[in-house]
Amino acid sequence: MYGGGNTFEGIKNDGLAQENPEKLAAFEARIARGEKIEPTDWMPQLYRKQLIRMIEQHAHSEIIGALPEGTWITRAPGFKRKMALMAKVQDEVGHAQLLYSAAETLGKSREQMIDDLITGKSKYSNIFNYPTFTWADCCFISWLVDAGAIVNQLANAKGSYGPYCRALDRICAEESFHLKYGHHCVIYLATGTAKQRAMFQEALNRWWPPLMHFFGPSDKISAHTEILMRWKVKMSSNDDIRNQFLDMYVPKIWELGFTIPDANLKKNEETGKWEYTEPDWEEFKRVINGDGPCNKERLEVRRIAEERGRWVREALKSPESAYVMPLA
Amino acid sequence: MVHSLDPRVGRLPTIGTPGMVVPKVPLDQLGTFEVFVQPKEGKPFQHEGIVHAPDLELAYVLAKETFTRRFTCTSLYVVETRHVYVSPTTEGGVSVAAVLPAITGPDGEPLSFELFMLPKRGKQHVHIGTVMATLPQEAMHRGFQQNLHGGKTVYNLWAVRTTDIRFTTPEEKELWLTLPEKKFRDAAEYKGGDKLKAFLEKQRP
Repeated sequence: MYGGGNTFEGIKNDGLAQENPEKLAAFEARIARGEKIEPTDWMPQLYRKQLIRMIEQHAHSEIIGALPEGTWITRAPGFKRKMALMAKVQDEVGHAQLLYSAAETLGKSREQMIDDLITGKSKYSNIFNYPTFTWADCCFISWLVDAGAIVNQLANAKGSYGPYCRALDRICAEESFHLKYGHHCVIYLATGTAKQRAMFQEALNRWWPPLMHFFGPSDKISAHTEILMRWKVKMSSNDDIRNQFLDMYVPKIWELGFTIPDANLKKNEETGKWEYTEPDWEEFKRVINGDGPCNKERLEVRRIAEERGRWVREALKSPESAYVMPLA
Repeated sequence: MVHSLDPRVGRLPTIGTPGMVVPKVPLDQLGTFEVFVQPKEGKPFQHEGIVHAPDLELAYVLAKETFTRRFTCTSLYVVETRHVYVSPTTEGGVSVAAVLPAITGPDGEPLSFELFMLPKRGKQHVHIGTVMATLPQEAMHRGFQQNLHGGKTVYNLWAVRTTDIRFTTPEEKELWLTLPEKKFRDAAEYKGGDKLKAFLEKQRP
């Protein structure tokens, strides 16, 4: 599970003026009653557009996120770890399949989504534009990036769009072993030799800033999302999800005796909120726009994979094939 | 050549032009197939999602990988999306039975149809039984007449000709026998508590 905080386009509520007011009221009433929206139901264009964007970003993140971890399959320490990592990476790619299908029910073809990923038009979680130098980096992703994604996606599974919620329920169920496996790997590094401990501490130092970015821009600077929360497209603000993650996982990291590289990180017992050094949002923007250490590599690997597979898909194509939008 | 820490990425052949994308043509990702899974013997088949595939046989293989590699499964089947006949979707306690136009099929040899109902918005379609009819709409009516829905409110109904389905053969049921042995996918296999406890005790002054 790799989906983190999503980036939404600036939202203009005045676009709703073109929608049928009666249908819009019925749509909002259904969501307020806690009912799911299904593909054949009427929905505002803005809802459709933002959902496609969110689900597509999530699907791309699963595919791209498999690359930094997949790199370590051949070098994972021991047969058991190799088996587990291989199964985990297979799960993540399977999750992309589920998510692309959910996005397709909203009317965007899988062909277009893959093209948009490779041209850079669609985004994916920024964190996967950083390299996994050591096995400890891989363990960091398995434990803490997955943990962050789980916090986010457990919230989104209670959203309003039926096909996305069903995909997330399945994804979350499959995730149970990922988190335990990741924590297990880190416990072994933490309780191992001084060199192993140092290796994880270095990984933590490298990955903490991207992990803070992972939950998306601060509420102070992110696009206005009130309407997306009302429509249950977005279930919590980026800062709330970040705070929830810190609440659950900072104590576990400290318990293992590691130092989080932020001298200002502490919980304000009065507010119940974590205080931390504001992440570098300029770096976040720069990397999301293509200037990260691995952006080019990630997209080039996908482009080559698509090019190399083209002849296979062409050979398999049957003249009787027909595309029909998935049903649910 | 791609510059990467991963030697396998570094060895990828040069193909096409970096940064240039040849736009995909329609059906590059092939057609879609609906997947139904039976989690346990005696339980109804349940809709799980779709796969893209060139034909029924490969759809079956991909469905097995995508939907049944993790949890218990006793059987699986797939059908091309275009072969699923879909009723209108209802809401507010109104059943599909109330909005389905009455249709009697033409004379002729009746065909076998499988019916799947949506018992609650947001949930998945489940298999409720098989009926004989000459048209899918007629099959839906017959399903209601025979009370296959058990009197429940049906929010959406699907009808599929039985012959359009790729079923699991009795021999293929062995595909899932080894699932419980794959412990590396089991969260319970990753218990680090004792190791962590011993470590923490050792750290205590």
